[in-house]
Amino acid sequence: MTSVTAPLAPAGARGAGPVRPRRTPARRTAGRLVPLVPATALLALFMLGPVVWSFYGSFTNAALTGPNAANPEWVGLENYLQLLSDPNFPKAIWLTVLFVIASAVIGQNVAGLALAMLMRSAVRPVRAVVSTLVVTAWVLPEIVAAFAAYAFFHADGTMNSLLGSVGIAGPDWLFEHPMLAVILANVWRGTAFSMMVYSAAISEVPPEITEAATVDGASAVQRLVWVTLPTIRRSISTNLMLTTLQTLSVFTLIYVMTGGGPGTDSSTLPILAYQEAFKFAQVGYGTAIATVMLVIGAVFSVVYIRSLRPEVD
Amino acid sequence: MAQTTPAASPVPVGVGAGVAVSTPGTAHRRRRPPSVASSDPRSARLLSNVVLVVVGLCFLLPLGWIVLASLDASATLAVRVPEDVTFANYSAVMTPEQTWVPLANSFVLSAGTGLITVVASVLAAYPLSRYRMRFNKPFMYAVLFGTCLPITAMMVPVYSLFVRLNLLDSLPGTTFFMAATSLPMAIWMTKNFMDSVPISLEEAAWTDGASAMTTLRRVVLPLMRPGLAVVFIFVFIQAWGNFFVPFVLLLTPEKQPAAVSIFAFFGQYGSVAYGQLAAYSMLYSLPAVALYVLVSRLSGSSFALAGAVKG
Amino acid sequence: MRLARPLAAGTAASALVLALGACGSGSSGGDDGATIKIAYQKFGNFTQADELFKDVKAAYEADNPDVTIELVPIEASQNDYFTKLALMNRSPSTAPDLMYEDTFMIKSDVEAGYLLPLDDHLAGWDDWDQFVDQAKQAGLGDDGKTYGVPLGTDTRGLWFNKEVLAKAGLPEDWAPTTWDELLEAARAIKAADPDVIPLNVYSGKPMGEASSMQGFEMLLYGTGGTLYDVESSRWVVGSQEFVDSLEFIETIYTEGLAPTPQQALDPNVGNTVSAEWLPQGKLGIALDGSWMPGTWLDDGAAPWPEWTEVMGTAAMPTQHGQEPGAVSMSGGWTMAIGAGTENPDVAFDVLTYAIDKENALRFAIENSQIAVRTDVAEEPSYAEANPTVPFFSDLVEVTHFRPATSDYAQISNAIQVAMESVMTGQQSPEEAAAVYDEAVIGLVGEENTTAG
Repeated sequence: MTSVTAPLAPAGARGAGPVRPRRTPARRTAGRLVPLVPATALLALFMLGPVVWSFYGSFTNAALTGPNAANPEWVGLENYLQLLSDPNFPKAIWLTVLFVIASAVIGQNVAGLALAMLMRSAVRPVRAVVSTLVVTAWVLPEIVAAFAAYAFFHADGTMNSLLGSVGIAGPDWLFEHPMLAVILANVWRGTAFSMMVYSAAISEVPPEITEAATVDGASAVQRLVWVTLPTIRRSISTNLMLTTLQTLSVFTLIYVMTGGGPGTDSSTLPILAYQEAFKFAQVGYGTAIATVMLVIGAVFSVVYIRSLRPEVD
Repeated sequence: MAQTTPAASPVPVGVGAGVAVSTPGTAHRRRRPPSVASSDPRSARLLSNVVLVVVGLCFLLPLGWIVLASLDASATLAVRVPEDVTFANYSAVMTPEQTWVPLANSFVLSAGTGLITVVASVLAAYPLSRYRMRFNKPFMYAVLFGTCLPITAMMVPVYSLFVRLNLLDSLPGTTFFMAATSLPMAIWMTKNFMDSVPISLEEAAWTDGASAMTTLRRVVLPLMRPGLAVVFIFVFIQAWGNFFVPFVLLLTPEKQPAAVSIFAFFGQYGSVAYGQLAAYSMLYSLPAVALYVLVSRLSGSSFALAGAVKG
Repeated sequence: MRLARPLAAGTAASALVLALGACGSGSSGGDDGATIKIAYQKFGNFTQADELFKDVKAAYEADNPDVTIELVPIEASQNDYFTKLALMNRSPSTAPDLMYEDTFMIKSDVEAGYLLPLDDHLAGWDDWDQFVDQAKQAGLGDDGKTYGVPLGTDTRGLWFNKEVLAKAGLPEDWAPTTWDELLEAARAIKAADPDVIPLNVYSGKPMGEASSMQGFEMLLYGTGGTLYDVESSRWVVGSQEFVDSLEFIETIYTEGLAPTPQQALDPNVGNTVSAEWLPQGKLGIALDGSWMPGTWLDDGAAPWPEWTEVMGTAAMPTQHGQEPGAVSMSGGWTMAIGAGTENPDVAFDVLTYAIDKENALRFAIENSQIAVRTDVAEEPSYAEANPTVPFFSDLVEVTHFRPATSDYAQISNAIQVAMESVMTGQQSPEEAAAVYDEAVIGLVGEENTTAG
């Protein structure tokens, strides 16, 4: 597991650095902080900036056209109140939760773990070829992956031509089951990450423990549940959190495959924010949706950091 | 953790795992006892292989479509072996306007993002790695927190901010934004790589009177060159594959990278010229795949670095 | 300071780069001579504007060496085009000097402060007298000033493939007088050949304004209903006519008389209709615009010389055949000047150059527009190029215009949302109409609405 936890190791784990007795500690610290300036400036401008702007913009009625484009007004909580009465908003929350749970928490994690386990008992060529394929789907530019998934699930695509070859007339997946299609596509695209995390984690489970359990007559399933999973639990929680946060902000895959449609049947929060702000020109309203997304991300983020805390401190 | 692009992960995970994937668990497997108490190891093994082959096929089909359709004179949306193999799809899209200019823009954007990120994160990682300061922990927490925010999915406020900063449709502006969003992850990675360079080497240089900057440049950086390459390439791949950011921030066609121009192509001809769309996708994907192969080689040697120095 | 200084130098350098990046993003124009940036749409079969402006750029720059024309062809579907244009207009550094602007966006963009009033310039332009008054109206802002110089106008009606209709036993001079007759014809086409799409009516968000105008409003304005009550200056909500129009959409999409919803929700379907479905006999009837032949002409995107033989036209009937018996909608595109342009005089000069008589004639022919300049309309080559010109010009008598208010652009979005929820079966026409009413009230305020 070092490969996963190492980057999250505490700062200041190293030695105290060169000794500079001639300078006062305050000046020394200030001098040492100087190299942090470019990174801090970039982060302040382009990470903190959008965050601040997001909160600010969500309290205005800024628009892309019309009078509110020229002179946006402060409208207080109006955008948020409007969100509460907009049927598409709770729907988008639900679709986002569904998308995250089905494709990340369940799909990518379970598939990734299963693949990592299976790889261990597979012959070398199978392992090499299959892991290459899985990783390729992950390495491709997102939009190309989205095209591939679009073609696969299209009414005239590979999925239906396979079903057709066994005599089943497949549905129009992107239209009739848009969420299923984008969920499967995201599993296809993202499983590699979990697989790699779990492969690394499992390879560091001390073989003695597994062997001991085997000698004690534990079945494969029992070994998994009682030995492997508890040993790699930190990887599991790290991976769950990372895939959750990644999946929360998936835009391109859904935008290309279904455009959030039909209707709003696959409009997750990032898609809804984009549509409201740019398609419907309600920038302030779209910004409020983005702010909700930001808060959700921040909450997950805090949970994640807290869960790592014992290790960092 | 804003994107699903490879580099969006705190990359050491991917790097370490990438290595692990190439040889998952082989070291331990050899030491496994020959007989396993569970039912029949041989049939279990066969089952694993069969399942993996099936999974592999599922992963192959969508990918196979891109490859096969790009060579198919009459490509459809379903994967199939072309009856009429042709490179006409490639030659049709390989024009400056259609492909080369957008790919050049992608390169400028990605290389710029990679360079800025590497320089800023090396500078930032040095004091974080070398000095024990009260400031370190909050800074690293803030960075970790930033890694998790879905900034690149919040392009609506980012757009408004860019309007206000007068940076809209600016390649440098977009490059700096992408660099900033990949910085948290890059700082973690770089600091981690830097932590693995033993401080004893620098101490020798300090006693010789070298400054911190000199030791960083002469001693630390050369030793973490593979690590820096890993950071650079991962940031590069991330920027290369990013669609949403340039889609919103770059408006003039001649500044748009391949991700955006391929989407415009998809919108206009995507329902007719499948072969050309696939060919364009191939051309656009190849650099990312090639760089990934390179980085998985590099990361191997980069992990070997620690051992070499120790020895 | 041994440590800090060099590091500080590196830091300062990085900060400098950052600052430079910020500075380098300003206007791309050189200081010597004017740069005029023209933004227009280029999408699929619609390449006529691109060709026109490319030629204008070459010719104008040859005549005026100190002026550089920068072309910004926005490759996006119509709905995305408005988005991208607005995104550009919002920021001074990207706002175009000259833009290809749909008439329905003018009032809204005027209020947004994006457009420059042209009255002073127009006063000194002799050609302005050639423009018909009705077309001039379309370029007005709420303040009565002119912001757009029209390129052409259009009407809408039914296009049908005579060969497809013949198979269903319908005559060459087919002319429905009620919605029911239109539906009967569609059902007959479906019965004769289930593989043919009987009737295309644009619907849903991806087709954007085409859904609202070619689709919904062609229905609504044939019921006697309206979106906007001009006398009271209020938006109509809760109208039965609105529900009736949605019911028509529901009927054709659920009965299989229209394309499948997925086909209809492809932003590319407009190209498919004109370049594939109609020429290939895959579609019977299309409720579409007078500009359709632009695709089929010799220099169009999908030349189809036989179109004059195969395609027939009929006016869109009113709901029950009530007076005046037929309905049409008119819009059109203009050239407008960005409010922030540094060179308004040069921009106007390029504008007049781009749509002088010769170019206006060319654009009217190539894009099958109804001419808005009398000198163009009188040119023999204009009438010869397209035999449907008289038919569509006559529809002007029964035509309607979209509500001339700045709110229309956003209300149009609400119409598309209502259409999409009905065509996909997510909502009944009544439910979708109720959601629309709520959206309208949210946009303009309850005090600006009236019960239909």
